[in-house]
Amino acid sequence: MSEDNYIWKSAEGYLDGTLTEAEQAGLEERLAADPGFSAQFAEHLSLLRSLRGQGQNRAFRSMLRDIHRHQPAGEEQSAAADKQRTIPLRRHYWRTAAVAAGIALLTSLLTVWISQNNTVRKTSPYHTLVNIQKDIAKIKSAQYQQNITINKIKDTLGRMGPEAEVNSSGTAFALTNDGYLITNYHVVNGADSVYIRTRDGRYFKTFTVAYDASTDIAVMKVEKKHFRFGKGDLPYSFAPAKSPLGAKVFTLGFPQDEIVYNEGYVSARNGFRSNPDQYRLDLPANPGQSGAPVLDAQGNVIAIVTANETESSNITYAVSTKALHELLRTLPRQTNIHLSRQNKIGRLPREQQVEKLQDYTCLVQVYK
Amino acid sequence: MQQLFETEQEVLTALASGKREAAERIYSQHYPVIAKWIRANGGDEQEAADIFQEAVVVLFEKSRSGEFRLSCRIGTYLFAVGKHLWFKRLQAIRKQPGSLPETAGGEDGTAGTWEDDLQVHREREMHYEQLDEALVRLGEPCSSLLKAFYHQDRSMQEIAAEFGYTNPDNAKTQKYKCLTRLRRIFYGIQAQ
Repeated sequence: MSEDNYIWKSAEGYLDGTLTEAEQAGLEERLAADPGFSAQFAEHLSLLRSLRGQGQNRAFRSMLRDIHRHQPAGEEQSAAADKQRTIPLRRHYWRTAAVAAGIALLTSLLTVWISQNNTVRKTSPYHTLVNIQKDIAKIKSAQYQQNITINKIKDTLGRMGPEAEVNSSGTAFALTNDGYLITNYHVVNGADSVYIRTRDGRYFKTFTVAYDASTDIAVMKVEKKHFRFGKGDLPYSFAPAKSPLGAKVFTLGFPQDEIVYNEGYVSARNGFRSNPDQYRLDLPANPGQSGAPVLDAQGNVIAIVTANETESSNITYAVSTKALHELLRTLPRQTNIHLSRQNKIGRLPREQQVEKLQDYTCLVQVYK
Repeated sequence: MQQLFETEQEVLTALASGKREAAERIYSQHYPVIAKWIRANGGDEQEAADIFQEAVVVLFEKSRSGEFRLSCRIGTYLFAVGKHLWFKRLQAIRKQPGSLPETAGGEDGTAGTWEDDLQVHREREMHYEQLDEALVRLGEPCSSLLKAFYHQDRSMQEIAAEFGYTNPDNAKTQKYKCLTRLRRIFYGIQAQ
């Protein structure tokens, strides 16, 4: 059987839950070991899901039309038939449809041409695989806490201009559009008050919703009612499983007053002293970038920057989103944090990904 | 009929699995109100049906998604989504740019959730259109074979017989080949 057939067969079996234990184990082993295969598998899986979803969507629509035909024509309907219409919509439809068809034809011609140019900047093959999660025993990272060779990336200056009393700063990013955000525990620990500054330069007071000192993450919430980071839902999603070794990553943070972009790769799947809650990244990070999001090439948040090694600012440790998922699971139900699973920036070029991300990444100022 | 479901949550759970009873219940309970409103706002019976069905599809897809929860009554939700869809359509026809009128939203300021749902809905529909385009470009017999299996839920046995394969296994191999080609075409379209 060819490689392609094997992937299709496994993907179908995976979706249907009909893989034998041996097949499942073999598949998971390969997914973990081979990022290229894992990326392919994810694409196959997503195409199958789309095909099935589309089929069910179509079936549902035709069922609705059928139900409509069987609706008894009530009084209201016959009354409405006599009533005069206010706008002659139908005629307009034809014109709109004609224009739309014209545009569609034009774009389909254009896209053939564009597609040929486009093959050059295909995104990297690394892809997080949805739903296949390996159970890693949670290990308390006491050793990591004690360790002195790690210094928390935290900056202790009031270099924010007029706000002279700012004691330290860090970075945070949105968990939900309505004001939940995440940063490092060490950034907000012991603070009197914590403010964030959004992209448009406005400041908002936040309070702590939950934290986990052992993994160094804290979930905050903007106090203001009806606060929104951006117009729509979050553009990025949160990786449900750990990214493979070598995956390209990038980050946005505030080592200075202005937002700064950096990129790198996963240099080890476990963090400091093999801490399974972390990644070790080869990624430049400076004080102030604590709490910054780490995203893979497809725009999935895979981790949160937490610390770097004293000898080299290129070796950075970041808490994996697994720790975040676990913290959220402990929250009471009414907290209502639902992490986005819709990634809207997966296939955009990096500049546009970063552009969208900026609305959801903010500076954190801590007053003590 | 009404006794079939105790709570709205049960209706939604049944709707998520595509149960006809649930869709019928929603239709008979909510269609008259929404259709009346659309007619009062310049639509005809067919348009009212289109809009209502689109709104129910939004609800259906939402009920199937993992993080599903509805913070308001089904009727309120459908009405908010239906109004929004109808104003969008009016806007497109009259070519009036600008914002939706105030009444387009939910009455209680719960705009957030269903607006996001609509956004997801539009993206999903676009995704499916791209998939359709890919299926067309894929050509025959692949296109029909995949549709028979994934859209019409036919068994490999039936498909083998209809498409003239000697046995289901051959049909399966052919299906994988078709999928491989579809994948190439589809992601080609998406990358544009």
